[in-house]
Amino acid sequence: MFHLKKISLNQLVCLVTLTQVGVHVLTIPYDESRHSGHDSWMSILIGGVFAQLAIILIYQLGKRYPDQSLPQYIVLILGKPLGILVNALFAAFFAESTLMIVVSYADVMNRWVLFETPWIVLVGLSVFIVAFVAASSLRSIATLTQSFMGMFLICVVIICISGIGKGDWRHFFPIGTHGFGAVLKDTLPAFWAYAGYELLYYSFPFVACRKKSHILLAMSVANGLTTLFYFIISVIVMYNFSENQLKVISEPMVFILRKFRWPVVQSLDIVFMTIWLSVTTITAFVYLFLSARYLAFVGRKENRRHVLLVWVIASMVFGIGSWFADKQTLFSFIDFHHIMSILFTAVLPVFLLLVSFVRGKVMNE
Amino acid sequence: MKSDTTLEQNEKTLRELLCDSSDFKTSDVETGDRHYRLFYLDTMVESVKIQDHIIRPLLHHNKSSVKEAVSILDYNETDLLSVASNELVEGKTVVQLDGESTLYLLGTEIIKERALNFPMNERVLRGSHEGLNENLNTNLNLLRKLIATPDLAVKSYQLGRRSKTKVSILYLRSLANDVLLNEFERRLEAVDIDYVDAPGFIQELIQDKQFTLFPKILITERPDRVRSYLMDGKIAILTDGSPDALILPVSFWSFFQSPDDYQVGWLFGSTIRFIRIVCFVLAIILPGIYVALVTFDPRILPFEIALTFQSSMQYVSMPPILEAITMLLILEILREATVRLPNPIGQTIGVVGGIVIGTVVVQSNLISNMMVIIVSLTGIASFIVPSYEMSNAARLLTYPFIIMSSIFGLIGLEIATILLMTHLVQLNTMGIPYFYAWFNKNTFQDTLFRFPIRYLKKRPTESMAQEETRLNSKKGAGN
Repeated sequence: MFHLKKISLNQLVCLVTLTQVGVHVLTIPYDESRHSGHDSWMSILIGGVFAQLAIILIYQLGKRYPDQSLPQYIVLILGKPLGILVNALFAAFFAESTLMIVVSYADVMNRWVLFETPWIVLVGLSVFIVAFVAASSLRSIATLTQSFMGMFLICVVIICISGIGKGDWRHFFPIGTHGFGAVLKDTLPAFWAYAGYELLYYSFPFVACRKKSHILLAMSVANGLTTLFYFIISVIVMYNFSENQLKVISEPMVFILRKFRWPVVQSLDIVFMTIWLSVTTITAFVYLFLSARYLAFVGRKENRRHVLLVWVIASMVFGIGSWFADKQTLFSFIDFHHIMSILFTAVLPVFLLLVSFVRGKVMNE
Repeated sequence: MKSDTTLEQNEKTLRELLCDSSDFKTSDVETGDRHYRLFYLDTMVESVKIQDHIIRPLLHHNKSSVKEAVSILDYNETDLLSVASNELVEGKTVVQLDGESTLYLLGTEIIKERALNFPMNERVLRGSHEGLNENLNTNLNLLRKLIATPDLAVKSYQLGRRSKTKVSILYLRSLANDVLLNEFERRLEAVDIDYVDAPGFIQELIQDKQFTLFPKILITERPDRVRSYLMDGKIAILTDGSPDALILPVSFWSFFQSPDDYQVGWLFGSTIRFIRIVCFVLAIILPGIYVALVTFDPRILPFEIALTFQSSMQYVSMPPILEAITMLLILEILREATVRLPNPIGQTIGVVGGIVIGTVVVQSNLISNMMVIIVSLTGIASFIVPSYEMSNAARLLTYPFIIMSSIFGLIGLEIATILLMTHLVQLNTMGIPYFYAWFNKNTFQDTLFRFPIRYLKKRPTESMAQEETRLNSKKGAGN
């Protein structure tokens, strides 16, 4: 039997880009414009730069242990009990991210497409497909993601075409009036939008490449694509809506899509949201997959029953997710999730890299 | 059982071994002091061969031994009656000299085969028009002629405890992957069944145990197609009694390749390849899209088109999902009836199907006009796929898609797509992935499109060939 485990660089780019891009596309740049207003496109760009820095950190960390993934080498950095604890925290964080995405998109579907479908059915269905995919191997997931790249490109085309039309470039001016502090403040919600590169923690040893630096290149390309995509969206939104309008519209992209009329398709937003479901699902199943993989390393030995773990986590996600029908709970949950994202995607790699560096120094002496 | 020295005793035992069959015949040849007796099944032998190459030489060269006298290449000796009876069944003539216990087995079998014909199920416009037939040796002969290299290995097996069907594995020694080869030989040898019915039995017995609707072994009856796959480093399995060659391991994309693609120029070849794949997708999702649009999201459509749809459905009382499933079932019934009916009556089906079902069903407001169009389009689209097995998969997959889209609309369609794609990427042949995205570095040249031959430098990844490079020169000879 052949056991092909490695994924190609091409697949890594698709996997990371599509994990980063998710439900956000509909809300960008609403969250990012709370303080910076019409300068929110700067927050988006700076968010991309921060994500790039975090990618470099994770890459440096992975390079120190090139044959292992984070749940394996974390024990070497932090020691057995603490390492297992961090693994468990990671598993919880990824499970929580899955929950977050499933719930947010179920909410979007509930409000825009399937009005009458009961909440529990929507969440159940989403969790079911997500778990069904996440139960496969990393390689299968990568191939699937790669195949969905086409769907993503269709969506990009739809966004670009529908966004250009009646708008006003003056919405952007005067540039920079909100001050640098406000712009920086708004990069915090952008962290969640860019989250997805933490996949590299796990996938580093599984990438087939001639030189390790190609991984960094591929990650940067992926992050660059995401940044460009978000930037295009925020520019399109700012072109269409003024700052005052943006204060009340929480899902600007949907409005832009709905406004646009094609000769063959009347309400483009439904088509878009349907196709976008596959892109959102990617983010969710990658997180669920990671959650199960991290959970597998909580314990003395690696737990090899991946499928079982995935379904256990999925049923928990479903159990919690079915209580989120209320919009207010969702909002407070989003705030909590923003903080968690920053912690796990930015603060933790710095900390781990420092500890690992110090350990290496001590060992050498 | 050892043979006796007396002719009568042997005849009696052989007759018993052959269940006292009435086509078991004997014939005596007496020359000088020697007395030969010939045993054969007269339904299995060619009498001319016996007369010209056994009886006449025996009479002429009455001094020499049987081996020296007879002019037959397929010559064997045994002194076991059980062996002799097995050989008799295959059309050998058993000769015994009175007073000796040696049995001479001489090949005199009659070869009745269908003449080489057009491949019935895989027609092409350009290229070879030769098809395999039911005789294994003829098929091997055809392939050896196409691949005249000592590198072509032919390994023969007998499958079936009772039927003893001959099965041959073909591969190119320097290309085929050893691990794959060993594993499939092991699987073939492990098969313990009383008889095999090719190609269905062999296909199901040797493929991985994984539930799927998709064919994981490609079946073809074109020698040139078998050659092209062997040249990719794949393995072909031929069975006596069946004109079908099984090819493995194959990927999803192989089922959309037709020999025509490589004969008509790359631009047109790519176009028809692309149309085929689009049609495969359409055959699966088109009724689903229609049902989703008319029942769930008519607001997606522009007002005028929605009105057209509405007007065709105005007097129809059935819900669209029932309409769709009924029409598709009728199409399946028609299709099956056309295959089973003898040719002269076959045209009746066209009349009954086309006029009665096509026209009257609409006029009596049972099914809407639009649905008839959609279903016919789906039916035709599923015919375009070159592989019969793949088009069957598309036909079956249509139903879950219709059901999903009638429950959740377009979202349901998307969910069904995701589940189907997940199933596809999980499939593998012994760990070799069955499906891969078409734009991979080494595979994009020959999947969704067919690039010019000079770009088809590498063998397909799924065959795991020992040597990957196919085309060595940087450019084609033309430049």
